[in-house]
Amino acid sequence: MSGSREVAVVGGGLTKFGVRGVTWAELAQEAGEVLFRSVPNLRAADVDSLFVGAAEPERFAFQSHVAPLVAEQMGLAPHRIVQRNELACASGQSAIRSAYAAIRAGLSDVAVAVGVEKMNLPDMAEANSAMACVLDRPWDAAHGLTAPPFFAMVAQRHMLEHGTTEEQLAAVSEKNHRFANANPVAQFYEKRFDREKLLRLPMVAPPLRLGDCSSMTDGAGAVVLAAEERVREFTDVPAWIRGSGQYADFHNLANMASLTDWTGLTRASREAFRSAGIGPGDVDLAELHDCFSISEVIEYEAIGFCGPGEGGQFAADGRSGLGGDVVVNPRGGLLGCGHPLGATGIAQAVEVSDQFAHRVDPARQVPDPEWAMVHNLSGSANVHSLMVYERGG
Amino acid sequence: MSGAVVEVVPRKRPRSRKAKPSTAEPAQAPAASGDRPARLPYLLDLYPAESPAQTRLAPFFDGLREGRFLTTRCRKDGRVLWPPRIVCPTCHTSDLEWVDLPQTGRIYAFSAILAGAPSGLEGELPRVVGLVELDGSPLRIFGRIQGVEWAACRIGMRVRIEPFELPDGRAYYAFRVVS
Ligand SMILES: [Zn+2]
Repeated sequence: MSGSREVAVVGGGLTKFGVRGVTWAELAQEAGEVLFRSVPNLRAADVDSLFVGAAEPERFAFQSHVAPLVAEQMGLAPHRIVQRNELACASGQSAIRSAYAAIRAGLSDVAVAVGVEKMNLPDMAEANSAMACVLDRPWDAAHGLTAPPFFAMVAQRHMLEHGTTEEQLAAVSEKNHRFANANPVAQFYEKRFDREKLLRLPMVAPPLRLGDCSSMTDGAGAVVLAAEERVREFTDVPAWIRGSGQYADFHNLANMASLTDWTGLTRASREAFRSAGIGPGDVDLAELHDCFSISEVIEYEAIGFCGPGEGGQFAADGRSGLGGDVVVNPRGGLLGCGHPLGATGIAQAVEVSDQFAHRVDPARQVPDPEWAMVHNLSGSANVHSLMVYERGG
Repeated sequence: MSGAVVEVVPRKRPRSRKAKPSTAEPAQAPAASGDRPARLPYLLDLYPAESPAQTRLAPFFDGLREGRFLTTRCRKDGRVLWPPRIVCPTCHTSDLEWVDLPQTGRIYAFSAILAGAPSGLEGELPRVVGLVELDGSPLRIFGRIQGVEWAACRIGMRVRIEPFELPDGRAYYAFRVVS
């Protein structure tokens, strides 16, 4: 047993994201279909551990104890570690982090991390209540707080403090929607949004319009992680996990030090860079948590891709697009792909794996990416989770 | 949050309309279609449980019925805590006391919910919400803002706490813009 062996994501697949006429359990079955298709050498017997990222199956599907349900739906019989990971919007990455830790510690050799979320319900008010209770329910959500008005206040303050404009926010959304037009699993694969159209969409929570907000989405996905001794059984281009960082502090909004300076993200990304031995300038591809356009703007700043207050201009100048300083969200992001909470982190890892192996549409392929960073925030940006990947070959 | 001591504000006279006891039975769903029951199913009800049988923070809600806006302060380090708590997160002691918070403040940030309401709030859109800096306090508290259209709302507007009664008799609070 090795205490520090290397771990890689060796492949994975995703279901179609969108408003789907399928149940929660059917999404898990689809995840099994795409996983075994995407990693042809994988046999169910290889998988010793299973980690299921699912934010709110109790509220979205009235179903608890989903780890064995997923094992049954996917035809897996994990015999070392089996568990569900819940970290709201970061549940998928949480599953990957647990699989990574288990393999690194020698408790697992080949693990599957799955994400499933079914958010579109017959009564969407119930789905909105599910989103509300991610926040401090009796003290913040009881006033009507959900994600859009929270991130709207963040945008309002960023505009006031740094002069960020609606047009700059639309630049983020336009970029991610354009990438999503080259990603067939994306919720908005066939929907075109240019900046002018985005700026005419209705307000959801001013100053945020519909195009500034990620959607309520049904979707699932799965990735395989393997110990270094097993990696070559599954792929020639492993995505080695070289670093990680995570930080949590407040929960109630009164205890958030600043709406616009996300110090928790700065701390977590510094730890991720330190553990990987790289810096922001080394990152070729970043999957950042653009639950709202303003989120991506602040993430550029807090991670260090640009200076404080410069995020809006960074996007408007194309520095986060193909040919820019760092390609952010070539998958299409949460804005373009939709945001099935537990599946989002899985989808980001699939994107890193596929980008490293040059398996994506040329319209969104990053030229020879070597280093990738993945970020999720959850809740009111009170938790930040990051991982750093290096291309093997 | 700093440890600054919050100014104790004078008590207001109790409101004449006495709120029903918080232990009231949940109302039956009305026969008429389209009407909302007085209380949603427990696990869709965003408002807090407030009876002494359910929470040690019942004095906060009793305070609202008396026109007071209370929270807890740690007797050991003097920190004013929001939301009210039963154990100080710094000293890990339950030696806390109830103190009055300022009932006035200024809007620090706001938005409006124009779509996507949770269950029970669908008929109450648009709803202005915001973070309010309480006067003379380091606290910035989130809440609904009454008495202003969202297009007319501005950062810096003065507001005050306004307790109100839920249909089932529980007490809660919002902010109201004052001129
Ligand atoms: Zn204390």
